[in-house]
Amino acid sequence: MNMYSIRILTNQPLRLTLTVGGVALCILLMFFLLSVYRGVADGSVEYIRRNKVDLWVLQCNASNILRGSSLLSTAHGYVIRQIPSVQSASAVLLSLSAIKKDNHVATVYLAGYNPETGHGGPPHLVEGRSVLNDNEIVIDKSFASKFRFKLGDSIKIQDDTLQIVGISTGTNAFVIQYAFVTLKRAQSLIGFPNIVTCYLVKVKQGKDISKVSAEIREEVPGLEVFDHATFLQNNIHEMQSGFLPFIYTIAAIGIIVLTAILSLLLSVNILERRKDFAVLKIIGSPKRFLSNLIIEQAIMISFLGSVVALILFFPMVALIEKISPEVSTKSSAEHIVIVMSIAVMMSLISSFISVQRIRRIYPLEVFS
Amino acid sequence: MKGLETVKYIVQLKDVSKTFGSNEHTTTAVRNVSLLASSEEFIVLFGPSGSGKTTLLTLIAGLVKSTSGTISLFDRSIEDYSSLELQQIRATRIGFIFQTFLLIDSLRVIENITLVLRFAGKNKKEAQRHACRLLQRLQIDHLAKKFPKTLSQGEKQRVAVARALANKPDLIIADEPTGSLETRQGFDIIRNLNEYSKEQNSCVIVASHDMRMADHADRILHLRDGVLL
Repeated sequence: MNMYSIRILTNQPLRLTLTVGGVALCILLMFFLLSVYRGVADGSVEYIRRNKVDLWVLQCNASNILRGSSLLSTAHGYVIRQIPSVQSASAVLLSLSAIKKDNHVATVYLAGYNPETGHGGPPHLVEGRSVLNDNEIVIDKSFASKFRFKLGDSIKIQDDTLQIVGISTGTNAFVIQYAFVTLKRAQSLIGFPNIVTCYLVKVKQGKDISKVSAEIREEVPGLEVFDHATFLQNNIHEMQSGFLPFIYTIAAIGIIVLTAILSLLLSVNILERRKDFAVLKIIGSPKRFLSNLIIEQAIMISFLGSVVALILFFPMVALIEKISPEVSTKSSAEHIVIVMSIAVMMSLISSFISVQRIRRIYPLEVFS
Repeated sequence: MKGLETVKYIVQLKDVSKTFGSNEHTTTAVRNVSLLASSEEFIVLFGPSGSGKTTLLTLIAGLVKSTSGTISLFDRSIEDYSSLELQQIRATRIGFIFQTFLLIDSLRVIENITLVLRFAGKNKKEAQRHACRLLQRLQIDHLAKKFPKTLSQGEKQRVAVARALANKPDLIIADEPTGSLETRQGFDIIRNLNEYSKEQNSCVIVASHDMRMADHADRILHLRDGVLL
């Protein structure tokens, strides 16, 4: 690293601080978006990932449960269970419901399931237990934090009063959180006791899943049957198509701002030292020396910005999760590497833009 | 790069003219100038402002191309040098001194010197050692750690002279080196420059309108309206 690049930067400490701050904020934004994405991605599909059954059976043309509707009758379940290779077919009813407590009203993604098989129930319980009877409910941890619900509290859904018996994780889909009741309660809440959303099918040991899938299609035409991996992938794809463009747009803005800040600072430094650069050209500076000066400055700023962003990231995430518990984030070393690589790439692009200015400095400018 | 034993003249100009602008708006800064300069010569180029002194210096340094005529530097036509070769020549064989010193303010005095030594290909340690010796010789080693903006005008110009001499150049080009100095300081600078350039067998071409220079000159040239009188 050239001493001159360090001196150029440290000559104006306030400007350097502001620039590093600006770059750090952009990098922080990217870190945050990536970790929110990871958090949402996990929260949205963790329910499906953890309910590991062999087959998911839905209404015709339904491929996921995140952004699709599926209505099946309990009679479908009866037919599926009659297939000799099927060990069990657990019905799940998913619906949007408004939960009331005192003056609070909040919407949850209510999952009604059969507590006896446990299929379709909460993926992880961090407090309490699963529902055992129709007057109980399990709610998501971030939802509980946001609305200050705790075990033993009573909440109202429509006119029914339910007691919170468990707190779950892996059930925060960012825009909405899952809650769990018995299938019977869920059906009574929507007023259709014979309706379910899907069936979670376990096949008998040693049976070929794809053959069982074909058998179900044959016995009950017009149903969609997915193996677990495909169904999980469908939901991930659905989540990504709904959420990723939003993340990408904000991340792209962050990247553009980062590049603009860096280019601006480097260009200002070049303009301020126009005469220095002209002198350097006259006294025989190799071309690479001048462009390296700019590249080194850009890399130093993005490195400092990354370090500041990393220092600020974890306290900031803790604060945001405290203020808005539904914002669940997940970060890893891989994210840090990705974001820092983007920062380095942008610093190289901005230095390339600024280096063009050096080319336009005419050595004769110093002879004025 | 060196090998002066084979060089007859450091600089040769033959009927060199330089015209700026185009169409009707042209200005001829240098007209049909011919000049031979050999090593150890101290040439002073006198002339009023706008007489073309600076343009002539930049032509000699290969910083601008002549409109007509031929310029040879170190026995080779300047047209034959690639831009990389010219850059290397400026780094190793030509020293520059400017009226406003033009030291790099963000760098310490010693770093200003080591920078040109590094441009000439010396490694960091070698450049450092060489710069220290040079500053000692010029009796300005006490300024080594200072930044140029903390120096007096005279000190700045002495550092600028040190920078120009650092690579023991064959040619030193000085544009109004005493223009920003008081009489005494200017006198000292010229005396030093003359002394060190003689020691190093350098050819010095100074553009000035300071008549005190005449005392040190081996040859005096007068330029008026771009014409060498």
